Amino acid sequence: MTDLDTTVRVAIYERFVEDGEAPSAADVAAQLRIGAHDAADSFRRLEDAHVIVLMPGTSEIWMAPPLSAVPTGFRVETPSGSYWGNCVWDGLGVIAMLGGVGVVETRCADCDEPMTLGVDGYELTAGDGVAHFAVPAARWWDNIGFT
Amino acid sequence: MLAFRSEAHVDRWCEQAGRERGASFPLATLSRLADRWYRDRLSRDWRRRAPREAEALFAEFGLTGPFWSFG
Repeated sequence: MTDLDTTVRVAIYERFVEDGEAPSAADVAAQLRIGAHDAADSFRRLEDAHVIVLMPGTSEIWMAPPLSAVPTGFRVETPSGSYWGNCVWDGLGVIAMLGGVGVVETRCADCDEPMTLGVDGYELTAGDGVAHFAVPAARWWDNIGFT
Repeated sequence: MLAFRSEAHVDRWCEQAGRERGASFPLATLSRLADRWYRDRLSRDWRRRAPREAEALFAEFGLTGPFWSFG
């Protein structure tokens, strides 16, 4: 990764948090006053480095972990705004990234009962239950969408 | 990674779908791991953890063994 990639990465996350949706390569290019192709190339390098995930065959962001650009079963409410997490880990990660206060709304994957996970001061204050990881760490990036 | 109301719900979900059981632990633990994993993600200084660094972090939460190894 280059210095430009770091600058692009930071811009992606800042825009994502501020707007509540993932920026396009053109958005980032305009913000950083660089060429759209340069931004798109940087997006691809960031994906190759497993920093972000693009929609297959495009330069559109799918995931900038812990954020998801598409609706998921993990809705996150924080004082900074509302977001989607990629999984329950990422839902809690959104809160950690944004100041340690918020709520993840999800459902039990087995019985579909709503579950509300409350976090305050970076500590889980509401939400009994367990997380289940189906895929071993060594295979997480084989199919990150499934993971 | 999915959330379940209890270990019994994980068991039932795996059994009904014929899925192999992976690893499970309390959401309170996951919250602390998520904090360590993601709190600095907006920083310009953030760097992706090397596999050994990630494994060391998992071990702090008792997550050890082949399931938590990057190989």
